[in-house]
Amino acid sequence: MMEHLTTDTLTDYVHGELPPAEDALVHAHLQACAACQAEFELETSLSEALRTAARDEEYELPSMVKARIWEAVRAERPSPFAAFAAFLRPAIAVPTAAILIVVTYFASPLGHPQQVHAKTVDAMYYLEQHAAEELQNPLIERNVSSPILETTEASNNDLTIGTRTAAAAALDAVE
Amino acid sequence: MGVPRRPVEPPTAEQAAFLERAIQEYGKATYNFAYRLTQNESDARDLTQDAFIRVYRAWRSFQPGTSFLSWIYRIVTNLYRDELRRRKGRFHEEIPEDNAPQEFGGQRPLAVTPIEDYVEGQLSEPLSQALQMLSPEQRQVVILADIEEYSYQEISEIMGCSIGTVRSRLHRARALLRRLIQRQQQQQR
Repeated sequence: MMEHLTTDTLTDYVHGELPPAEDALVHAHLQACAACQAEFELETSLSEALRTAARDEEYELPSMVKARIWEAVRAERPSPFAAFAAFLRPAIAVPTAAILIVVTYFASPLGHPQQVHAKTVDAMYYLEQHAAEELQNPLIERNVSSPILETTEASNNDLTIGTRTAAAAALDAVE
Repeated sequence: MGVPRRPVEPPTAEQAAFLERAIQEYGKATYNFAYRLTQNESDARDLTQDAFIRVYRAWRSFQPGTSFLSWIYRIVTNLYRDELRRRKGRFHEEIPEDNAPQEFGGQRPLAVTPIEDYVEGQLSEPLSQALQMLSPEQRQVVILADIEEYSYQEISEIMGCSIGTVRSRLHRARALLRRLIQRQQQQQR
């Protein structure tokens, strides 16, 4: 005689919880066994009955529950630590932001607009250029040393004095 | 049914919006789940309220893309279990689980179909009464497996137990339900 399926097996079968191979065996068995088929239908009808009963007894969420949820949520108070942290937050954040703004301002060109000029060239550069050009000029007497070059060698630190010395030496050479 | 008060951050607009949407979309399902578990309106209201307060507090831990309903059912389940422990069984009249093997085996007589009769007749009330006779864990697994149609794996995650436990609880619960229904039907005849 064919071995019948257990109720537990049929419960798992109804819920689709059997491994594929076993599921196929149960399926085949149900085709051939009226008793197990009847038991299977009983299991199925129990599940359907439970779902039908649940649908018949479905309720809306009472509005008072929603109101109580919001009431409870709004009544939530932060802990002393959280409250202190919340208090500290602006006390720390505001000065930090202020410092950052100040630093950013002065670090950027916006912080010192009066210092923004066109590129400046040292006056000594022109003097040196001039002296170099003179050396290449064939019309200038070669025995006359370039006072400007001497000047540049003498002192790079005091441009004013150097320039005056160069001018005087140039006049002497012409005379 | 009280949720232990725990300090939280002040509500943000995002948090409030999350709660509002959760209540709107899942409030009814959660309330019905709680109602089926507790079998009474007052406890269902408290359970639903406490569950959504938990959702509100832990809203950041919800993983987008996962089932919100599974998450809140798990919260309801945990709250319900805690409440049962707190009340020490006052919540329900415990019916000892029938540990007799439920397997049929051998030659099966043609089954009578009292459940089908219930489906055609006044079903809801007797079945609801039968559900009340189950233990909370049995009732819960029946609700999740047959009404909510979760898989054993999902139920094990919601209930925090093994799949084997889910399976055995469901088998016992359904066998008990069938016996209770048959008994009720015999009493009516």
